[in-house]
Amino acid sequence: MMSIRNTLTVVLLAVLVFLGNAHAAPSDKPFAEHKIVIQISDDDSAKQTLVLNVANNLIKSYGVDKVDIEIVAFGPGLRLLFAENVNAGRIDALVDNSGVRFAACNNTIAAMTNALGYAPALNSRSKPVDAGIVRILELTDQGYTLVRP
Amino acid sequence: MSYIRKATISSCIALTVGSVSVQAANWLALQGTEPAGASERANVWGFVQPEYQYTDGTELKAGPFAGKPAQFNQIGPDLDTNSTFSIRRARLGVRGTGFPLDSNVNYFLLLEAGNNGITSNGGGSVKVTDASVTLNHIKGARFRIGQFKYPGSEEGLMAIHVFDYINFTNVTNMMLLERFFDSDGSVTSVGANDPNGSVGAFRDVGVQVFDWFNTGNWEHSYAAMIGNGNGIARGDDNNDKDLTLYWASERVFGGEGARRQGLKLYAWHQQGKRTLATGPTQTVGDFDRTRWGLGSTFRKDKYRASAEYIKADGMIFNGTDGAAVPGTLNNAATAVASWNILPEDEADGWYIDAGYKVLPNIELDLRYDTLNRATKTSSEERTFTTWTAGAQYSFNKKTRLIFNYELRDAEAPNLAGSAVPNQILDGMDDRVSVQLLAIF
Repeated sequence: MMSIRNTLTVVLLAVLVFLGNAHAAPSDKPFAEHKIVIQISDDDSAKQTLVLNVANNLIKSYGVDKVDIEIVAFGPGLRLLFAENVNAGRIDALVDNSGVRFAACNNTIAAMTNALGYAPALNSRSKPVDAGIVRILELTDQGYTLVRP
Repeated sequence: MSYIRKATISSCIALTVGSVSVQAANWLALQGTEPAGASERANVWGFVQPEYQYTDGTELKAGPFAGKPAQFNQIGPDLDTNSTFSIRRARLGVRGTGFPLDSNVNYFLLLEAGNNGITSNGGGSVKVTDASVTLNHIKGARFRIGQFKYPGSEEGLMAIHVFDYINFTNVTNMMLLERFFDSDGSVTSVGANDPNGSVGAFRDVGVQVFDWFNTGNWEHSYAAMIGNGNGIARGDDNNDKDLTLYWASERVFGGEGARRQGLKLYAWHQQGKRTLATGPTQTVGDFDRTRWGLGSTFRKDKYRASAEYIKADGMIFNGTDGAAVPGTLNNAATAVASWNILPEDEADGWYIDAGYKVLPNIELDLRYDTLNRATKTSSEERTFTTWTAGAQYSFNKKTRLIFNYELRDAEAPNLAGSAVPNQILDGMDDRVSVQLLAIF
C-alpha cells in the first residue's frame, strides 16, 4: 500500500510535470485546435511581410481562439523584431488582437551585438529564447506544425 | 497541379506582391529613406520609357529665320525633326541599406542612359542623376548628402515614373527644368549658346535636412537644402549656394507608397545666384535666381487632381532668337539663333489637372497650364497655354501606355496680332505623344 508520503510525492511530481509543460508551451489558448510555429530566418523584407500575412490569414481562417501561433526569428530574420522595424505596428496588432507570440533568438542577438558594437533594440513585444532553432524543436515536440513561408 | 496547390501558390504570390511594406508616403521619405529593419542591402530597380512624339512641323512664318524649322515644333532634345521615336528615359538604380543591421544609413544611386537633356549635353551618354547617402540618426532631423532631387515643385519632385503625363507643363519646363548657360545669348554672332552641361533635372548637389511627423490623420513633412545650384554631375561655378525650403501637410485617406490617397498642401522656396556673361560686352556677373510655389494634390478612389502656382524671379529662360532652332543661320546670313536668358526678368505660371479611372486599368486625364514669361519687359512678354488630354492604360502595376494630345498656344500679349512675334507664335503646332513605361 502506498504510504501517504509516497502519494504526496507522486502528486507533487505530477504537478511539477504539468507546470513544466505549461512553461514550455505558454499558450493562453486552451481551446486551440491548431498549433503553428512560423520560422523567419531570411534577410528579405518581402519574407517579413509574408510571415505576418500568413499569421494573419491563419487567424482569419480559424479564429483567434482556435489557432495558437508563435513566430520564431533567428539569423538575418531577427530584423523583423528590431524595435525600429516598419512592421512594428502589425506586430503590435497581432500580439494584442490575436495572441500571436514572437520569439527572438539570443544567439543571434549576441552575434548582432558583436557586429554592431551595441545590442540592437528589440521590439518590446518579443520574448528572447536561448536559441531560435531549439525553440522551434521544443514547439514541434509539443505538437506544433512548423511553417516556413 | 491541383487546384488547391495552384490557389495556394497564387495566394502566396499575391501576398508577397500586394503587401510589400512601403515606408511613409511622401517624396522626401520615399526617395531619401529605406524602410527601417526591412531594407535590402542592394535593391536593384529601374525603368525604361520608349516613346513617339509628333507635331506638324510648321515652319517659322515670319522674322529673320522665316521658312526655317521652328524650335517649338521640333522634338527635343535633338531638335532635328518634328516626329521621332526615342528612348525618353532608361534608368538603372540600386538603393538600400549597405549594412542591413543598421537602418540609420541608407544610400540611393541612379543612372540615366536615355536620350534627353541630361545625357545630350555635357558629354557622356550615361549620367549619374542621383548619388546620395541618408543619415537617420537624429530624430526629427534626417540628413541626406550628395546629389538628388531638391525639395520643390510637385511636378519636379515626384518620381518621374509615376508622372501622369509625358511632357512637363510650360512653367515647369521653362522655369524649373533649369538649363545652365555661360552667356545670356545676347551676342548672336558667336553661336548657339548651347547649355554648358546637363539640364538640372530638378536635382542639386548638397545637403538636405528633413523629416516628417504625424498628428492624427495628418502627416507633416519639412526639408531644407543647401546646394551648389549648378546642376548635376559637377561642382559649383561660384561661391554662392542655393537654399531651398519645403513644407507639406497631407491629410492621409489611406494606402501607401507613391499613389497613397490623401489631400496634400505644400509650399516651397528656392533662392540662389547664377554666374552669367551678359550684354554686348558679355560682362560676367552673378544674378539672383528665385523660384517659389504653392500647390495641392488630391487622390481618392477613382479621382485624382493637382494644382500649383509658381513664381520665377531672375534667370528667366527666354527661348531662342526668332524661335529658330539654335545654331540656325538667319536668312540674311548675319547671325545664328541662340538660346537666351533674361537674367533680371520675371515669370509666373500655374497648372491644374485631373484624372479619373474609368476602369481599374484605364485613366483619363486633362490638364491646363499657362506661363507668363518675361512679365517685366512688355515687348518680351510671352504667354503660353496648353490643354493636354491624356489616357493611360495599365497592362499591370509596373507597365502602362500613356497617350497625350497637347493643344498648344502662345502669344505676345503686349504686341499687335500682326507683329512678327505673334505671326511666329501662330505657327505653334499641337503635339501628339505616346509613351510606354516599364518599371522593373
